[in-house]
Amino acid sequence: MTTETRTRTEELTINMGPQHPSTHGVLRLVLTVDGERVVEVVPHIGYLHSSMEKIAEHLTYQQYLPYADRYDYLNAMGNELAYVMAVEKLLGIQPTPRCQYIRVMMAEMNRIASHLVYFGTLGNDVGAISVFLYCFREREALLDLFEAVSGQRMLYHYFRIGGLRNDLPDDFCDGLAQFLDYFPSRIDEYDRLLTKNRIFRSRMEGVGYLSPEDALSFGVTGPCVRGSGVDYDIRRADAYYIYPQLEFDVPVFAEGDAMARHLVRQEEMRQSVRILQQCVEKLPRGEVNVKVPRRIKPDPGETYARVESPRGELGCYLISDGTEKPYRLHWRAPSFHNMQAYPVMCKDAWIADMVAILGSIDIVLADIDR
Amino acid sequence: MTRGRQRLEPTFANLLLIVLEGAWSIVVGLSVTFINFWRKKVTDRYPHRDPNRNWQPRPGYRGDFALITDKETGKLRCIACQQCQKICPDQCILVVPEGKGKERHPTEFYIDAGLCMYCWLCVEVCPADAITMTPDYETATDNPRKLIRDLDYLRGGVVKASG
Ligand code: SF4
Ligand code: SF4
Repeated sequence: MTTETRTRTEELTINMGPQHPSTHGVLRLVLTVDGERVVEVVPHIGYLHSSMEKIAEHLTYQQYLPYADRYDYLNAMGNELAYVMAVEKLLGIQPTPRCQYIRVMMAEMNRIASHLVYFGTLGNDVGAISVFLYCFREREALLDLFEAVSGQRMLYHYFRIGGLRNDLPDDFCDGLAQFLDYFPSRIDEYDRLLTKNRIFRSRMEGVGYLSPEDALSFGVTGPCVRGSGVDYDIRRADAYYIYPQLEFDVPVFAEGDAMARHLVRQEEMRQSVRILQQCVEKLPRGEVNVKVPRRIKPDPGETYARVESPRGELGCYLISDGTEKPYRLHWRAPSFHNMQAYPVMCKDAWIADMVAILGSIDIVLADIDR
Repeated sequence: MTRGRQRLEPTFANLLLIVLEGAWSIVVGLSVTFINFWRKKVTDRYPHRDPNRNWQPRPGYRGDFALITDKETGKLRCIACQQCQKICPDQCILVVPEGKGKERHPTEFYIDAGLCMYCWLCVEVCPADAITMTPDYETATDNPRKLIRDLDYLRGGVVKASG
């Protein structure tokens, strides 16, 4: 007599988060799994919602500026940049050349600092803890520079409408040049320690594939879309401020997996160093502030300003009704759009890969929820 | 479907490759760790600090509040114009004015440092250059009421020559 033994399998729904160490904030993922394979991922967002857009309607244009720091806190200077660009567009003013240089420098320094956090946390997620410590040591040098210019280490509130809070301190350029001297060799170290590591590569190569078509249809931008082989960078597409005068490459990798996105970021740090070196060299003298009225009342109208943040296209949409307060403000948050592609990337991945894939998108939850 | 790079197939040859390459990666990685082992220490002990490494914030750090006392007159510079109260996005400043013209001064001045987001707008807006932020960053307390700075607390701050 033969007994037929068949294992009955069924799909299982499990919860990951909201308090999960590798979700980089509070994110809840509802997974449907078949054994160790992921069948479906449904991200539940909104735990960090802080009504950043509604707050703007109750504050004047100047008063809202410190809030702009606070939602994508790893890229505070970049957020300020998008916001002041939008307001300056409404007012029709152009910042001075020196101010443009300093703003670009700050944005690029913040890009390096943000990518360093990405490197560290990704290393942490996949089990390489020492990278985290080294990255934060390098970031510390940048934060010290930020502290010297703005008086704060994280939420700078350094840009002002029409200019900056103050000019750079005297020793700033020396400090930055010093950092730029040794930093590329540190990137090589991360390269040896993490990127070239066989174990790390086995976890990153071939997982989380995102096709260029999917990337474009989800509105994915930044390193994620460049990791899928789409050559799109707002610094070049829009050529705002002084970027056309600077020489830099936009790294593009066509593989579309987590490793490609990782390599884009690593290369971007090198390019940011190049940009900063040119800025330090070319930094013109002169005024940093243009005169703006004490009460800022743009004419009624709407505008959209966008910058390339470390995570992608960061846009600020503003409607003015002619009063001191914005009628409506909307943030086009890059993490929000990149997150939409996450279920596609996770299709048929192993559960263990999900953390690596999530790390490779480099989300900031406060940016998603705003 | 065209998919970029594929994962390595778990064949024997590939597994051998992963093991050997993985072992080599560990050697390379440890060499990086070894270099860093000899680098300068960047961390500080806190709060039991090393007296030789007395870390201080940079000048211009936005920490605790102070009202500036004029050196010559010995009085607070504040003219109780309430501009700071108006600009504060968090509405955490309260100034109660008294007197007219040159005599105008605050009788009460409250800043709720627990609500404040240290944005510097109040300092920037002040026409008399009367309020400032000191580099004092150790303001943590177990009682939120202690975070409400009153006139006595703020007066203890900075003395500056006029001009
Ligand atoms: S601190 Fe300055 S802004 Fe505030 S009430 Fe006094 S003078 Fe006016
Ligand atoms: S620093 Fe900003 S939040 Fe704090 S009291 Fe001054 S204006 Fe208000």
